[in-house]
Amino acid sequence: MRNFGKTWVILIAILIVILLIGLGIFRWYVSGYNKAVNLKEGADKAWADIDSALQRRLDLIPNLVSTVKGYAEHEKELFENIAKSREKYFQAGDNRAGKIEASNQLSGFLSRLLMLQERYPDLKANQGFLDLQSQLEGTENRINVARTRYNEAARLLNSYTKQFFGSFFCRKAGVEPVEYFEATEQAKTEVPKVEF
Amino acid sequence: MQQLFTKLILTLTLLSVTATTCYGQADLPTPRNHVEDYANVINDADERLLNGVLKELEQKTGAQYIILTVLSTGGMPIEQFSIELAEKWKLGVKGKDNGMLFVLAKNDRRWRFEVGYGLEGFITDQYCSRIGRDVLVPYLRKGDYSSGIYESNLRIVQRIATDAGVSLTGMPKITPVPVRDRRRGLPCCSALPVLIFMLLIFGGAGRGMGWWFFLPFMMGGFGGHGGYGRSGSFGGGSFGGGFGGFGGGMGGGFGGGGASGGW
Repeated sequence: MRNFGKTWVILIAILIVILLIGLGIFRWYVSGYNKAVNLKEGADKAWADIDSALQRRLDLIPNLVSTVKGYAEHEKELFENIAKSREKYFQAGDNRAGKIEASNQLSGFLSRLLMLQERYPDLKANQGFLDLQSQLEGTENRINVARTRYNEAARLLNSYTKQFFGSFFCRKAGVEPVEYFEATEQAKTEVPKVEF
Repeated sequence: MQQLFTKLILTLTLLSVTATTCYGQADLPTPRNHVEDYANVINDADERLLNGVLKELEQKTGAQYIILTVLSTGGMPIEQFSIELAEKWKLGVKGKDNGMLFVLAKNDRRWRFEVGYGLEGFITDQYCSRIGRDVLVPYLRKGDYSSGIYESNLRIVQRIATDAGVSLTGMPKITPVPVRDRRRGLPCCSALPVLIFMLLIFGGAGRGMGWWFFLPFMMGGFGGHGGYGRSGSFGGGSFGGGFGGFGGGMGGGFGGGGASGGW
């Protein structure tokens, strides 16, 4: 009878151990799965910030172009290029790679547009132009900040999708690696000039 | 043993290479006062007054406004430098995101207003840019850093206080905000009356000391890029004058709003 009781105790102990292990595995699974989901959410939220900053820049363009046009009529090619890459951005829809490409192009054209003030001094004296320029610079800076944050979120997500268990959870949660937002070479070299 | 040594050296070189390619990080300790004058360009009277006003602003509106001067940002664009510090210090109250950081890098000849999310609505990029262009830069060109920082930042402080519907008792009289509607005109016209007005107020008896007082400060410290401006002396001895200091950030967020420029 005493032996019988001992077996029960051992059985119950084993059962508890199994339960604990099962619970551990379950929690590990849930946290791994949730991590994949959260990383995806983080990257999407960071992208939304980029998107709104890019949108803000697009909204500034018509005003800016029409102001500059008054002073630099024969820069037609530049204006057309700006219009084209703006169009391209809208056509990209939800395709991140397309949007990134279009906005990198646009960055290059816009910095050329701002550089026109060196060739047309009247432009530099125009208060409206200066205001638009400061708004554009502010927006570019917002894009930069949002891009840094997005790339960081994307890096976390992408490395998780490549990890041993991470890739498993990402497949389960249907999470895929996302596109990085690389700045163009041109944009990179344009560090603010230091005047002495 | 030798292998280990070579490995160590290799890692160290690699580390230093990566560190230089990504500029390094903006790293300054959390400010103890609202004015952190590492470049030593703000005179004691202005610093005391600014500290008092900024402290009062924080008490009444919760907005955390830090004025920082450094000798150099260490080769980093000032925009990156300021956003990294603003994020690190978490200026402003969480949720209200009413943080504000002014940075002046003396030897780089760059300035920046970094505006928290919550203030962007009325401290717009355009407003900051105008304050910088019309108020700050004319002083900086004359080498009067202290007055430039004082005049420009007090205007923004006033605007934050007005928007929050509070009046600051420590606020000295300054001219109303010089930002006009979008009209075309000569750019000098906006700054001129302001400058004249300031000269009238501050030129003579208003401030005991003339601009020559700053001459020694202006002459010193042009010795190239000195790290992050840790140049030995840390400003004048008296901070805040009984107001206490800066208690640390409250988790405010920044999105890169504001304006920057050179002189």
